[in-house]
Amino acid sequence: MNALIIGQLAVSGALMGLVYALIAYGFQLTYATSKSINFGQGELVMVSAFFSLTLLDLGVPYALMVPGGLIFGALLGLLVERTGVRLALEEKSEGWVLLTIILGLFFFSAAENIWGRDDRPFPTPLSQNPVQVFGIDITRMEISVAVGVFAIMGLIELFKRRTLLGKAFEAVSADRDAAELMGISATRTVMLSYGLSGAVAALAGILVSPITTVGPTMASAMILKAFSVAVVAGLDSGFGVVLIGMILGALEGLASFYIGSGWREAPGLVLLILALAVRPTGVFGKAGIRKV
Amino acid sequence: MKRLLLIHGAELAVFALLAAVPLAVANPYALGLLTLLAIYGILLIGLDVTVGYLGQINLGHVAFLGLGAYAAGICLTRFGLGLFPALGVATGVGILLGGLLALPALRLEGPQFALATLSFTALSFTFLNEMESLTGGAQGLSLTRPPLFGHDLTPRAFFWLCTVLLAFVWLTMRNLLHSQWGRAFEALRDSAIATDAMGIGAYRHKVAAFALGSGLGGLAGGLYAFNFQYLQPQSFVYDLMVILLLGVVLGGRKSLWGAFVGASIVVLLPNLLSNRHVFLAVSGLGFLLALGSGARGLVRKTTRPFQALAPVVAMGLLVVGGLLVKNTEDWRKAIFALMLFSVVVGLPEGLMGFAARALTRLFRVAPSPLPAPSPLDDVLPLRVADGSAFLELEDLKRHFGGVKAVDGLSMTVRSGQIHGLIGPNGSGKSTAVNVISGLYPPTSGRMRLRGRPLGTGSLYRAAQSGLARTFQNLQLFGELTALENVMVALKGVYRSPIPLVLLGLAKGEERRARADGLALLDLLGLKDQARTRAKDLTYGDQRFLEIARALARKPDLLILDEPAAGLAHPDVQRLIQTIRRIHQRGIAMILIEHHMDVVSELCTLVTVLDGGRVIAEGSPDEVKRHPKVVEAYLGQAGPGDAASEPA
Repeated sequence: MNALIIGQLAVSGALMGLVYALIAYGFQLTYATSKSINFGQGELVMVSAFFSLTLLDLGVPYALMVPGGLIFGALLGLLVERTGVRLALEEKSEGWVLLTIILGLFFFSAAENIWGRDDRPFPTPLSQNPVQVFGIDITRMEISVAVGVFAIMGLIELFKRRTLLGKAFEAVSADRDAAELMGISATRTVMLSYGLSGAVAALAGILVSPITTVGPTMASAMILKAFSVAVVAGLDSGFGVVLIGMILGALEGLASFYIGSGWREAPGLVLLILALAVRPTGVFGKAGIRKV
Repeated sequence: MKRLLLIHGAELAVFALLAAVPLAVANPYALGLLTLLAIYGILLIGLDVTVGYLGQINLGHVAFLGLGAYAAGICLTRFGLGLFPALGVATGVGILLGGLLALPALRLEGPQFALATLSFTALSFTFLNEMESLTGGAQGLSLTRPPLFGHDLTPRAFFWLCTVLLAFVWLTMRNLLHSQWGRAFEALRDSAIATDAMGIGAYRHKVAAFALGSGLGGLAGGLYAFNFQYLQPQSFVYDLMVILLLGVVLGGRKSLWGAFVGASIVVLLPNLLSNRHVFLAVSGLGFLLALGSGARGLVRKTTRPFQALAPVVAMGLLVVGGLLVKNTEDWRKAIFALMLFSVVVGLPEGLMGFAARALTRLFRVAPSPLPAPSPLDDVLPLRVADGSAFLELEDLKRHFGGVKAVDGLSMTVRSGQIHGLIGPNGSGKSTAVNVISGLYPPTSGRMRLRGRPLGTGSLYRAAQSGLARTFQNLQLFGELTALENVMVALKGVYRSPIPLVLLGLAKGEERRARADGLALLDLLGLKDQARTRAKDLTYGDQRFLEIARALARKPDLLILDEPAAGLAHPDVQRLIQTIRRIHQRGIAMILIEHHMDVVSELCTLVTVLDGGRVIAEGSPDEVKRHPKVVEAYLGQAGPGDAASEPA
């Protein structure tokens, strides 16, 4: 009985952890090309979810809403890149940290005023009946999260390996200057990465909304955990974020049951600070040699 | 004199005005705002230490405000401590936890540092919320402001207390930040590697800066608790952190005035927004300013088009939005975001950075005059060189994976000698220097300095034991002036303990440091550039500044890593003269060089490396003729050209 509860908590937690992993994957995409991340990524998740909900309210069918939401997310990602990141990268400064925080603040306030401050339910075409595996209940929405996360990560990894544009992406990640000398536009590649990252954030919003409901603060707790996942796993390992995301999610489920739901966030944060102290480049990150 | 009068006069005027307001205005609401302004002033001065001086995005400051507030509150309600002891505890909590957090966060840069501090904010919120037995949890913690020396503190008296504390913090922090400590913080921001290599110590300064800033956060927290007399964990979350951070940036980094202006804006903004007319006036003014400065920047081509246009668009959005939206207060965050966006993009140095520049020009304030340089004999005393073995390397190896960058290097540098280290590209010269100076630990082998084992793997320890080095890829502290670059590295001048520095009683050593620094700049021919920022110097001068800075360590052994790389011919001559002069002071040197003429002219003994191993050693003329050296530089020697000179 006890083992069943633990199993149930761990599995639901781990599936939720996949959402953190997906958002963290969005950080990795932009970090790879530009060594920058969008500190307002949580707002992208939230605004895209609201936008998708509006599409549904307007009568757009579910199958069309998903691509619509993804495109909207990608456009927001491009907006963030243009207004918040490009200038700082050109000046080789860390101004992007502040500017992306500022843009996030703006998106948050805009969403609050356009869609209201209340949490709203997000409809799903899936039935509410859970599937039982070894006595553990798994909801269909949780399954859709897993499918969606693995599908988009798989597609993007395939894109990076199999297409010319994707190889340009990898080239800029490996060495920006050398790639530029080979005639690859680093600016466009960074744009591409921010667009992809925005789309990934939108998908995270669409997948998680039926579980958490949609509201201006829906992503504020999630984003912290996504940060933890990204840093603990390292900012350059797609496999790492999935693993760490699931572990963190499971830990969180167990902690909220055994210590109290208020402490839900604690394991992730402690894990993060510890991981940083021991391995600043992340568990799966590559340690560079200091050069002078 | 005029300069000091203006600066101190302005400070005095502001504090006098601030303190006099409650005499004229009896409105309790206005008094509350002013009190909050003083508290936030302290808070933002603390935040500026990490954000401005240390150059790190610190998202943990709000946690120290909260923890300090709760510490003071709990001391009061639980343990019945008085006002000042409670404030002391609040400050102590900030310093202690700040120092502790800095330890793991030490090795992190940029986004990782921001994330670690952000996690700390979230963690401390969870802690305050969940430790209900101690903090009251989400219910909050109520307290009553304690009396001071037996007298009840009226709001007005409490405001004066906060103002006095702000003035005290202001003065002590000005003393500290204008001393070696402030320079060291900035050096750390510009190059952590050079900070260690110059024996300044990246580790302790990063911890100190963080603990100091956090301590001020804790102090502000204590005052916050006594001001509101009611605490809730909800108040100390990421939202407030963003606003604080942006307050510092908006006001202007690395500036006490900037922190003050930032605090004023943070406190007054909600009130500006609630009045429609004031809001329209402010946004309209902002729009015109953005338009004016953008147009000027574009015409003079001093700004990029994006930098000129984006603020105009953002402020335009603000004006149009202000006309369309019914209740501007609902859009508070968006309005703040738009204003900040314009400032961060259009005025990266912040409002006070901009104002300071404009005012300096307006009043034609001359910088304070430089003192006369110290006599060189005082700065770099003559040493007796007896030619004894000084640095001994024995079978030194450093491998990177399968790459054997240094593979069994043995050499002896004698005191007072200029020892050349040459070899083709990739022969392991720079790696050898990096191992000797402590950047990399050796894979194996022994290093002895004056017969004693040399500590390995720490730039700082190597620097402490008397080594100084320059960097082939310059590692100057770009934002510091040439003089400050030398001053920050000076050895044996700064002896005052921190309390004396805080109270401004260490001005003597500061004067001495300035005079000593000038003497070294003079030696390198850089005296006229003393006030130029290092990043604005010409490339050649930057190379000379690296040497001046290394000499400030008063080293026994100076390692010059390709000092002539990229220098024009006249500068190469100047370099040779300079190295001669340094040699005359009895300092031993290792000279890594590609210019064979420089090596021939200066070195008494040359070691030649190839593939990480020593292939020849001897006088410059001997090694030039050595067949292995010729082969290493020119490939397999033919029968007739054994005497050809390596390039």
